[in-house]
Amino acid sequence: MTEEHEHNHEHEHNHTTPDDAGRSRLADPGYDYLSGALKVSFAVLKVIMIILVILFMFSGVTKIGEGDRALVLWFGKISGVGEDRILGPGLKLLLPYPINEVVRIPSKKVNLAINSFWYYQKPGEEMDEAANQKSYVPPTLNPITDGYCLVRGEKQENPAIASEGSDYSILHCRWVLTYEITDAERFYKNCYVNDIYLSAGQNYSDVIEQSVNPLLENLFADAVVVTMVNYTIEEAISSKVASVSDRVKDRLQNKLNALETGITVVSIQIRDITWPRQVSDAFQASLAASQNKEKAISEAKLTAEKTLNDAGGPATAELLTSLRDSSSDKTRQEQLWDQVAGRAQEAIADARAYKTQVVESARADAEYLQKILPEYRKHPKLVVQRIYQDAIEQVLRNAEEKTVIQPAQHGKATDVRVLINRDPGAKPKSEPSK
Amino acid sequence: MKNITITIFIVLLFIVLALVFTMFQVRETESALVMTFGKATRQIKSPGLYFKWPPPIESVQKFDSRARGLIAEPGETPTKGAVPIIVNTFVVWRIAEPLDFFKSVQTVKEAEAKLLSQISDAQNKVIGKHEFSEFVNSDTSKIKFDEIEKEMLTEVQKASLANYGIEVRSLGIRQLKISEDVSKDVFERMKMERSRRTEATIAEGNAASKKIVTNALSMHTEMLAAAEARAKAIRAQGDAEAAQYYKLLEQDPQLAMFLRDIDALKKILEQRSTVVISADTEPFKLLRQMPDLKPKD
Repeated sequence: MTEEHEHNHEHEHNHTTPDDAGRSRLADPGYDYLSGALKVSFAVLKVIMIILVILFMFSGVTKIGEGDRALVLWFGKISGVGEDRILGPGLKLLLPYPINEVVRIPSKKVNLAINSFWYYQKPGEEMDEAANQKSYVPPTLNPITDGYCLVRGEKQENPAIASEGSDYSILHCRWVLTYEITDAERFYKNCYVNDIYLSAGQNYSDVIEQSVNPLLENLFADAVVVTMVNYTIEEAISSKVASVSDRVKDRLQNKLNALETGITVVSIQIRDITWPRQVSDAFQASLAASQNKEKAISEAKLTAEKTLNDAGGPATAELLTSLRDSSSDKTRQEQLWDQVAGRAQEAIADARAYKTQVVESARADAEYLQKILPEYRKHPKLVVQRIYQDAIEQVLRNAEEKTVIQPAQHGKATDVRVLINRDPGAKPKSEPSK
Repeated sequence: MKNITITIFIVLLFIVLALVFTMFQVRETESALVMTFGKATRQIKSPGLYFKWPPPIESVQKFDSRARGLIAEPGETPTKGAVPIIVNTFVVWRIAEPLDFFKSVQTVKEAEAKLLSQISDAQNKVIGKHEFSEFVNSDTSKIKFDEIEKEMLTEVQKASLANYGIEVRSLGIRQLKISEDVSKDVFERMKMERSRRTEATIAEGNAASKKIVTNALSMHTEMLAAAEARAKAIRAQGDAEAAQYYKLLEQDPQLAMFLRDIDALKKILEQRSTVVISADTEPFKLLRQMPDLKPKD
């Protein structure tokens, strides 16, 4: 209907021209062909335009991937209120650019290696520990190529060796920083991301790391430099490693918060921390000395434990402390005496045995006397003789060697020689062993 | 009808073109200057949609207002005590006043050049006022790193905002180093210090272990003495308890002593003894002769 109308219109329009010319044009097959081609072109153009309009209208449909969050800009201004300003994953129906614009910000955790405090290594040395060990160690550190940080010297209590406090040492360390963008809005508003000259296929989130990492490296390096000067090399390497990490983390986070970056430090790890290779021998010797010291002390403690156990067992120390203190709890003291072991316990046990033996023996003697006294008073000689002979019998029965000597007769002296072994149980030396 | 379509199309095209040439948006990350015949006339620091006259009357110059980092070249700077240190400073800065920025430096590159110059000046000025011992000190209360950084930041901020519309938001020292020659001396000192500590550690170890053992031996002696004293008391208690039975022996002390002697004799000659005895002793008399026994009347 529309085509017919347009045709009629065109027809009417043609009627405005002179009749002859119109007739000749209508009869011209070339004109018909051109007219048809134009109609088709217009129709195609219309379809394309309609498609473009539809595409334009739906270009605002955006998919936010898992692990991403997004901000929607309404003519450049972040739209929404409160938590609605941040869009989570899913399909979002938005208005086309330039009305709405989507800024995707990844929420994943990012690891960033910080090697700016490590000494220079030739390519390959870092991965090959053996090659690194064999590599030439220059006598100095080049401030341009070698990384390191300064740590404070030990505070000297001895005035003879104390300096003005400006002693310091050199330390190498490598770190791994893990961070994530937790406040997308603050991050987008305040952190520079080189999103102006994006290469083909790149979007804002693709260039975040390469833009933000240098800033983080700088802030991190500052935190390390400022923190490390508060520690000695021993503290930084061994005893207070966790404290160093925590302090660096706190300082870095404070700086990031002050800059309103929306970045949160998840963790900070010391990958490597060591003294300079140039002083390695001296430090190894010192380390060995420390280990020997610990070993000597451990051995001494073991010896001490054995000694105390030998003396009185585990309760010795507490018991002695209690004995030294005149006001100590006597009940507890007695409990400790009961727990005493070793030689002290032996001495006390012997004493207790002696006590029992002495008392029982005295009682037995007394009872025995009481029993034989009436008979003794009646027949003293007989009782004494009987007791005496019983004793002689028992003694001689127990004796291993017995020698009975004939007494001297008629006033003549008798020379008696008895060879007595030192130990009657032992064999004479001259006798061969069989 | 066709004319109406074309007219609508042209009107729409005109409107779109008019909007394109007269509207512009400023993002959250940007600030902008509206230039009228090339002269900055309006400064925009809030995000949103704005209008302007079409070119060539008015044009828009946008600036990225987000914070960005800038690292200065590491440079050797003498401290107050003339100790040369190598400091590598960085700043975090942003374009805060686009009009001032445009009037003074115009481009980021130019701004960074100005900032580097200011950082260098601030570095020399501030570090020159502080001793090296205020950077590193065995007494941590004397370290003034934060104050030094703050002074440098103030110094850089002073000129940058007023002169260039730049807000320096943070300043930090990313490297604090010493010259190559000095590093050799430091290593020598570290070695000496380490040797001293090694010797001290060995001595401490010996002293500590000796002390532990000596203490233990002392406690050992003390414990045995205490135990012996307690044992003596127990024995005394036993003797005291036994004494009450001795009173019973007083009924016939001679017999009691005889019995005691007999007991002693038995105990002494209980084992491994050699006895040499006269044939006169009872009952060995029997070996010499038969006894002469007569019935008692």
